Amino acid sequence: MSVLLQIQEATIGGRAEEAVALVKEAIAGGLTPEVIIQDGFIAAMAVVGEKFKNHEIFVPEMLVAARAMQFGISQLEPYMVSGERTYLARIVLGTVKGDLHDVGKNLVGMMLQGNGAEIIDLGVDVSTDAFVRAVEEHKPQFLGLSSLLTTTMPVLGQVIDALEAAGLRDKVKVLVGGAPVSQQFAEKIGADGYARDAISAVDLVKRMVAAG
Amino acid sequence: MSKRHPRETMTPRERVLAALYGKKTDRIPVGNPTSVATVECMEACGVYFPDAHLDAHKMATLAATGYEILGYDTIAPYFSVQQEAAAFGCEMTWGDIDAMPDVRKNPFNSPEEIEISGDFLERPATRTVIEAIRLLKKEYGDHVCLVGKVMGPWTLSYHLYGVQKLLMDTILDPAKVHGFMKKLKQVPVMFANAQLEAGADVVTLADHATGDLVGPNTYRDFLLPVHQEITPQIKGPAILHICGRTTDRMSHIAKAGFAAFHFDSKNDTLEAKTIAAREGLLLVGNINNPDVLYAGTPEDVKKRVFEAAEAGIEIIGPECAVPLRTPNANLKAVVEAVREYCFR
Repeated sequence: MSVLLQIQEATIGGRAEEAVALVKEAIAGGLTPEVIIQDGFIAAMAVVGEKFKNHEIFVPEMLVAARAMQFGISQLEPYMVSGERTYLARIVLGTVKGDLHDVGKNLVGMMLQGNGAEIIDLGVDVSTDAFVRAVEEHKPQFLGLSSLLTTTMPVLGQVIDALEAAGLRDKVKVLVGGAPVSQQFAEKIGADGYARDAISAVDLVKRMVAAG
Repeated sequence: MSKRHPRETMTPRERVLAALYGKKTDRIPVGNPTSVATVECMEACGVYFPDAHLDAHKMATLAATGYEILGYDTIAPYFSVQQEAAAFGCEMTWGDIDAMPDVRKNPFNSPEEIEISGDFLERPATRTVIEAIRLLKKEYGDHVCLVGKVMGPWTLSYHLYGVQKLLMDTILDPAKVHGFMKKLKQVPVMFANAQLEAGADVVTLADHATGDLVGPNTYRDFLLPVHQEITPQIKGPAILHICGRTTDRMSHIAKAGFAAFHFDSKNDTLEAKTIAAREGLLLVGNINNPDVLYAGTPEDVKKRVFEAAEAGIEIIGPECAVPLRTPNANLKAVVEAVREYCFR
């Protein structure tokens, strides 16, 4: 089996140490970081995503696969010339004020990162002001807002209103997600997109980037 | 709202308990095994979050609005999911008038680090719930169904150890996850029995092994054996609450020994009822919170209630603790719609 296929298998199985060892082997064998990322890790996560969509696997399997990918890709950093990487998009992420849930948001971040996005993760319980400041400072193409609680869902809309008030609304696409959030709710509060899980979030960002 | 409809022959308490024991009722009971506290109810009774989480009189006063103002057949004083976590000494944020409490840090790294001390039920967060039930029992005990609540060992592990770590360890270190379950299973038993002794008629056991996070095998392998141990030790009927998608694990849940299962609107109601009927599981729920109760109209609520009634859901109510800014008109519409459906 080629080392790239082995990387895929180790990633899908969530075996981080094995993925790290295989990356070293791949580099020693002359493969470039881009090939290893694209044909090893991103290819693996596409399989993971498909299995997740089909309910063959659930969040724990996704988390350990994403972790294996992160471990593997971190091994490649010394081999990547700075400025060499072009990112899919710059994305600021965070869980809204009053909400401390981060698993979904972390998974979205890891999956997007694995698919070539630059992620600026503001963490949990992020104030509306902090989101506005981050949009001002980082000038991301996307702002991803997460809320797990029905009690914090309205805050998603408040962040959008605050961007409007700061004159930044047309500078960034706002994506929302979280267990109680729906497409209907996303439209109601004027978000640009909704994704029901981390896999759909990757698809959504890719689609929106392609559409310009 | 709390006034009896002319065609009602049972008290709210009789109605809920009859439904839970599979007996005939005068109409479908309306109850929420989690929480129906709203900002509107807080304004009406003068008791607000976060005070109501740690003061038994305030907790009881606010909980009673579920019956007094909304007309539900149940009164459920434990509003959040964090009283035990607070009693374990987790650093808390107690929230606000419209925000539930939550744990700031997950303090324990292994089951061995957790100590369940002899005074666990005497700590403010746990004692408040027990005391509130005792107060409610005096006032409403012979008339309204009093619902206690406890967190199961899986949810306690989320709070004490951390959700992401626990989920990953189901694959990376399953023995550790089993260790947490083994260590924590005694907590819901002792807290539930204290609430039952204080006057609760039924307890909700929330253990969020939801399809939004884990697969049916996780419930089967990590939770089911522990639930089977817990349920016979609880000295009263217990309702399991798990939000999100759960139809794929309902056949396992049916074997766990709960009186009923409180389920979410993410499940197709008819499909869920079909599985539950086959497995002999009673269902409570599953009116959608975010789109229907929070953002919808009384007319939307009525439509969903009729669907749930038509499907044969045994106790109708919100799918989960309601968003705190849910309009009371929508919550009352659940009772009105059930009466309309049953007495038409």
